[in-house]
Amino acid sequence: MLWTEKYRPKTLNEVLGNGKQKKEIETWVSSWKNKIPQKPLLLVGPPGIGKTTLAHIIAKEFSEYIELNASDKRSYDIIMNTVGESSTTRSFFNDDYKLIILDEVDGIHGNDDRGGARAIGQIIDKSKHPLILIANDFYSKRIATIKNKSQVVKMQKVHTNSLNAFLKKIAHNEGIKADPVAIKELAKRSTGDVRSAINTFEVIADEKKTFEMEDLDIISKKDDRLTIFDSLRTVLKSKTPKKVKDAMFIEEDPTLIMEYIAENIPREYEKKNEIKKAYENISKADLYFGRARNSRNYGYWKYASDFMGIGVSLSKKDTYKKFTKLTSPTSFSYLSKTRGKRNLRDKIAEKMSKKLHISHSVAISMFPYFEIIFENDEDAYDISDFLELDDDEIKRFRKKKIPKKVINAKEKEKIKNREEKKKIEIEKGIYIKKKQDTSTKTKKSPDTTQVKPEEKTKKDLKSQNEKNTKKTGKEKKKELLKDINEKNTKKAEENPKKEKLKDRKKTEDNAQKSLFNF
Amino acid sequence: MNGPWVEKYRPQTLDDIVGQDHIVKRLEKYVDEESMPNLMFTGPAGVGKTTTALALVKLILGEYWRQNFLELNASDARGIETVRNDIKNFCRLKPVGTPFRIVFLDEVDNMTKDAQHALRREMEMYTKTATFILSCNYSSKIIDPIQSRCAIFRFTPIKGQDILKRLEKIAKNENYEYDTEALETIVYFAEGDMRKSINMLQSAASEGEKITNDAVYDVVSKARPEDINSMITKALSGDFMGARTLLRENMVLHGTSGEDMVTQIYQDISKRVMDEKMDGKIYMDLMEYLADCDFRIREGANPRIQLEALLTKFL
Ligand SMILES: Nc1ncnc2c1ncn2[C@@H]1O[C@H](COP(=O)(O)OP(=O)(O)O)[C@@H](O)[C@H]1O
Ligand SMILES: Nc1ncnc2c1ncn2[C@@H]1O[C@H](COP(=O)(O)OP(=O)(O)O)[C@@H](O)[C@H]1O
Ligand SMILES: [Mg+2]
Ligand SMILES: [Mg+2]
Repeated sequence: MLWTEKYRPKTLNEVLGNGKQKKEIETWVSSWKNKIPQKPLLLVGPPGIGKTTLAHIIAKEFSEYIELNASDKRSYDIIMNTVGESSTTRSFFNDDYKLIILDEVDGIHGNDDRGGARAIGQIIDKSKHPLILIANDFYSKRIATIKNKSQVVKMQKVHTNSLNAFLKKIAHNEGIKADPVAIKELAKRSTGDVRSAINTFEVIADEKKTFEMEDLDIISKKDDRLTIFDSLRTVLKSKTPKKVKDAMFIEEDPTLIMEYIAENIPREYEKKNEIKKAYENISKADLYFGRARNSRNYGYWKYASDFMGIGVSLSKKDTYKKFTKLTSPTSFSYLSKTRGKRNLRDKIAEKMSKKLHISHSVAISMFPYFEIIFENDEDAYDISDFLELDDDEIKRFRKKKIPKKVINAKEKEKIKNREEKKKIEIEKGIYIKKKQDTSTKTKKSPDTTQVKPEEKTKKDLKSQNEKNTKKTGKEKKKELLKDINEKNTKKAEENPKKEKLKDRKKTEDNAQKSLFNF
Repeated sequence: MNGPWVEKYRPQTLDDIVGQDHIVKRLEKYVDEESMPNLMFTGPAGVGKTTTALALVKLILGEYWRQNFLELNASDARGIETVRNDIKNFCRLKPVGTPFRIVFLDEVDNMTKDAQHALRREMEMYTKTATFILSCNYSSKIIDPIQSRCAIFRFTPIKGQDILKRLEKIAKNENYEYDTEALETIVYFAEGDMRKSINMLQSAASEGEKITNDAVYDVVSKARPEDINSMITKALSGDFMGARTLLRENMVLHGTSGEDMVTQIYQDISKRVMDEKMDGKIYMDLMEYLADCDFRIREGANPRIQLEALLTKFL
């Protein structure tokens, strides 16, 4: 018999860990026994910690039970036929409850299970029988609605110490001469997964009846590719250059390894000086990565590797005798956590980039100013109108909506201004025609102005060009600008402050909306 | 349509550009001669590189500038292939009504070296039909073969006096009263960056009828996130993890660039020493580290990693 079966707990007491959770489950069971119906029980937690085992132990408390798990075909019909019925119709002869166990409900997927999650929802709604649901991933979408309808019991990983003791008991029972340090290490490496610890132990020790550290190495070296965490651990824990250099030989993007090391420096090293020194090495490594990228001379990588490997490892005075939880770079998880906000940011930046002739990063550097300027209703309207921002984008800069009153007034103004401008443009058009006797161009789209100069001779082209740039181009524009500027300043002088808003509107139009605006 | 003031008051002609006289003079010669080499505009942000390029294009291409002009921002996510395709499609066509066409490639220093080499090939291939104007913050980030094919114009930060005059003009035109002191404060904080000056001006103006010194200081403190200040305080008090988290929030979520972070850190510790809240010697040490960090970022290192390393120096 497999050890996992052989040592499967038969009573609640034998189940390792999760004391509080077990109490909660017991209460749930006794309520049913007292004929007080309860919400379904949803056991959630990582694999190998005893969820299924617990369900089976509970099942013994009821007269009958039905179980389904992910390997069954869980189409809508199957679930309704096997479980649905029995859950609504209670036995006529006795009113003993039937326990229904649905294992790995977050594993329902694929076409066959279309409706599976819905079926479970219906079972929960209709069921008059006790129901236990089991899932691995608390955040799985598939159990989102189920969570709301159940009593959720979050199961934790089994603690290393309990696992250690349990493995010792098995060793004793099986007559295995085991090195306690090795057992402790196995317990640690299993990261709370009892099932995998027992399996590993059986594979190594069942035949030869001994168990030592080297055995563990064989097991973990089966997959002899070092993981990024192995390298990381060596860099932080060792002070032996040879070991560290070896550990750096892994198939990973070296800049990613650098991120991992940098992330964990302050988690392992405690003295300020050590952190300083270590980070100085990271900084140098990064510099050489940059140089490699820029010069496309990847020979620089070897220096980077030594800085972040040996350099960081020697930055500590002594190695720390402690367990440090090493993590992957949080700046990456930060990236995914903030995706929504960053998408919005980038959408705005793209709009600004187009209209203001700037890159995304320059655009983003203007955000703090926009946050201030947008507090003013009119400015907020003007700028978002100019940039064509939608409501969500406006909300990035101000919490309140722009008041309807302001919007209406502004829109009216816009129409009026447009008409006025048309008038002015017509006047100007005539004015220029008289003076220069060339055709004027008023804001035509590039295609319509595609006059066919190719047909002209080169000479023609040149003389025409002379006209355009020397007189028409340069001078004409200067004159017009002067004209406009004079108008503006005059108006500014004439108008008292009171009429500021209205006035601002006009000067804005005149300052820019000339013939040669972008 | 009323854009932000920076756009509304963007000079439309060369002679309206402030503080880059020697450059403008030189460019006007090209206009007179109706020919020009490839140009490269380099210099810090907000000093008129893009503005100058746009004004020059309109002047030199005259009436037909629209059809003969392609503007691209090299730094954005569109990907170098799209940029190259756009350039190719544009350059393949003959000039219409002008002796040549102009490609304006803005912020080129954000292009990878590979992309720059590709760009160089394009510049070569179309010398007959197209002239290139490139702009960048640091010419050191541009590969030599491109630099050697361009006439290089170095834009300088705009002088305080010039910025002041410009701000006065804008405030008057917008019918705002102002304290000269307020404008001077803006000039001080803008460090020769006209875009920043104008943004600060409009921010200060949006707070009331009159542009006062208080309003400006309010803007300065609001626009420089509290985070920077508390990040530095955290680091100085030994909380590296806390400081590092704030740094990442700023750079990843708010998208603050490495350069901006450096500037803001500089301003923050400067203020500390001015307010006599930091010892001069410590200040000088930190300054040296900051300068070093700045330099490494410009050398192409990863800004966030470099700034994290900088924070350890504050511990
Ligand atoms: N908490 C536990 N206490 C004792 N043994 C356990 C525990 N969790 C798991 N096991 C062992 O692992 C095997 C698988 O457990 P199981 O309940 O199927 O895990 P899960 O359903 O959480 O994936 C069991 O047969 C038992 O041998
Ligand atoms: N030399 C200058 N003279 C007048 N205004 C300027 C000048 N430089 C920048 N500005 C203002 O700052 C804004 C941004 O300038 P821009 O030319 O885009 O800067 P960059 O050098 O970053 O390309 C312009 O729209 C204009 O309002
Ligand atoms: Mg199970
Ligand atoms: Mg620019």
